[in-house]
Amino acid sequence: MYKYSEKDTQFLVERVDQFEKQLNRYLSGELDEDKFRSLRLRNGLYMELHAHMLRVAIPYGILSSNQLRALADVADKYDRGFGHFTTRQNIQFNWIQLPEIANLLRDLTDVGLHAIQTSGKATRNITADPLSGLTEGEIEDARPYCELIRRWFNLHPEFSWLPGKFKIAINGAKLDETALRIHDLGLRLVKNKKGELGFSVYVGGGLGAAAMIGPETASFVPIEDILSYLESAMRIYNLKGRRDHQKKLRIKFLVRELGAAEFSRLVDEDWQQTKNDPELKLNLKELQSLKEDFELPIDPINLKGFRDEVDFNYSIWKKNNVRSHKVSGYSIVTISLTKLGSAPGDATSEQMRILAKLGDQYSSSEIRTTKRQTIVFPFVRKDEVFDLWKSLEENDLDSPHQGTLAQIVACPGRDYCDLAKAVSIPIATRVQERFNEMNKLLDIGDLNINISGCENSCAHHHIADIGLLGMQKNGEEYYQITLAGETLHETNIGKKLGPSVSSETVVDAVENIVNVFIDNRKSEEKFTDVFKRIGIEPFKEKVYG
Amino acid sequence: MVEIENPTTLINKDYESIELVTFAEWIEGFERLANLGVGLILEPGDDVYLIQNQLDLIDLIALDFSNFDDGRGYTQAYLLSKRWKYVGEIIGINAHLDQLQFMIRSGVTSYQLLESYKGSNEEDYSNGFSLCYQAAANNNGLNLQY
Repeated sequence: MYKYSEKDTQFLVERVDQFEKQLNRYLSGELDEDKFRSLRLRNGLYMELHAHMLRVAIPYGILSSNQLRALADVADKYDRGFGHFTTRQNIQFNWIQLPEIANLLRDLTDVGLHAIQTSGKATRNITADPLSGLTEGEIEDARPYCELIRRWFNLHPEFSWLPGKFKIAINGAKLDETALRIHDLGLRLVKNKKGELGFSVYVGGGLGAAAMIGPETASFVPIEDILSYLESAMRIYNLKGRRDHQKKLRIKFLVRELGAAEFSRLVDEDWQQTKNDPELKLNLKELQSLKEDFELPIDPINLKGFRDEVDFNYSIWKKNNVRSHKVSGYSIVTISLTKLGSAPGDATSEQMRILAKLGDQYSSSEIRTTKRQTIVFPFVRKDEVFDLWKSLEENDLDSPHQGTLAQIVACPGRDYCDLAKAVSIPIATRVQERFNEMNKLLDIGDLNINISGCENSCAHHHIADIGLLGMQKNGEEYYQITLAGETLHETNIGKKLGPSVSSETVVDAVENIVNVFIDNRKSEEKFTDVFKRIGIEPFKEKVYG
Repeated sequence: MVEIENPTTLINKDYESIELVTFAEWIEGFERLANLGVGLILEPGDDVYLIQNQLDLIDLIALDFSNFDDGRGYTQAYLLSKRWKYVGEIIGINAHLDQLQFMIRSGVTSYQLLESYKGSNEEDYSNGFSLCYQAAANNNGLNLQY
């Protein structure tokens, strides 16, 4: 598994030292609130409703078991014993005291973790498919590219004070688990006619109040030229992006105002000046070294004659939570943290330590996080899946919800976040209570519900089968419903169903929508297939009657 | 001697007093101002591309970093320094302590901190790291690792 070098760790220590000085200057009144806000955000530190929230980076969603243990220690030592895995594969701690931040960050440097650029108007954590390197048909494992690009934009002198935040996703698989076209910049690994490897580039996607799908700005950028291309895209954004309007800071507004063709032309014009600069070429030697670091820690095994255990609960869990692996003899196991009444993505320190221990025992000490706020064990022997399930069952981590309606994605909502207009977690709980029969969930099948407490769309409601967006109307909480968002096979933003519904009736509305789906689906049709075939009207009729 | 309206002066890196003109004044009268040894103040919103072919005529360019969250000055510095190989002084004015490392590595060759930072330890913020992860206009003596 890839680990930071001593030099990288030293860099993290130096960054903490610098941030501690900034923090002390703020606490002594030497640094004003506005400047400190800008600086602390670049270190993942938010002022939330009740305390400070710290977002720790989990680059492209990969953790070692030791790193997960360190996060559990942070949860106990500096928080109230839990952390929250986010939809961008990071982890957040919600009850941090300001004077303790530097010590917390210093603890994390020991295991190569940090909070650099997990917020603020700079390049954020780069997200990747949590199944990178594990599935058949991949064009290439995206992780070495994620790491090289992450490094390049780490405290980049030219691009650390952009007009708005800048989120990048990279996908090397056929299906898009990363939702790259709703990112500020998405990279898809592709091969050209000569079989050479490069990237298709999509710029200007995003959710929020003005959800947009990023248009393609370059169909093929050779891998060695990707850094210069990214710099050119960010340079045009840095110079021309809107800074005059708080709600138009993101690159999607620039791309929309200029038009995708003009934006692409400007980027290309700049890129022609730099693409041949040897200093900006991707370091292919380092790439090769990283590919070796990211090589799978397993070899095929022959399990001829192996017969899995027969157990009713196990078989349900296995159907939903276990996927096939490209390496014979292995499985990919998804562990859902979703429990009734708990915030999706929340994990206690005890759960983190159990997962770390089980990761050591069953998954080569590697653990991955996903944008659906679940945990993936990437390397589980098929003949040990049952034993793993038993251990998960003993620790109440055997939720068989993965891929079902009950695996709801929700932001912290108004209970925790001062930006939120409405609650998210209680709505998720009520939906789960309504659909609490496993037979019903299995019948409904793969259907996702995402709930955001405000237009910032942290729970990505636009790209869910059923999306709920919290809002306020005359002091009451209401929810706008969107249907049939998707990113896996193609990218579509969910369509608004109609007027928002009240908090009291929102769960009825969800049930009505699910019933329209069940009544109309043919054989294996998914929700988006049904929606495309029958249109929005039958859903409207049922919900608004 | 051609008169410069509303001159602003600044002390350059050689401790000489140099008169500055605004970007608008320069664009309007650069033929008149050329070879007078004047400097030019560039605000973040000024289009640096318009002076690309006139750099030989300008002794000093002052980039204004007073707005903490406006990062355009870093790209202006990069274009002047790295891409167009401007050999005059690129001075970051109204600079903030915490942004020195970004200014210097983007190509700023000298700086004047805002008064409020007087007495601060500049070294902590101009060069607090042992390595950098990207080639920039100026790697500032850091080991490049990428």
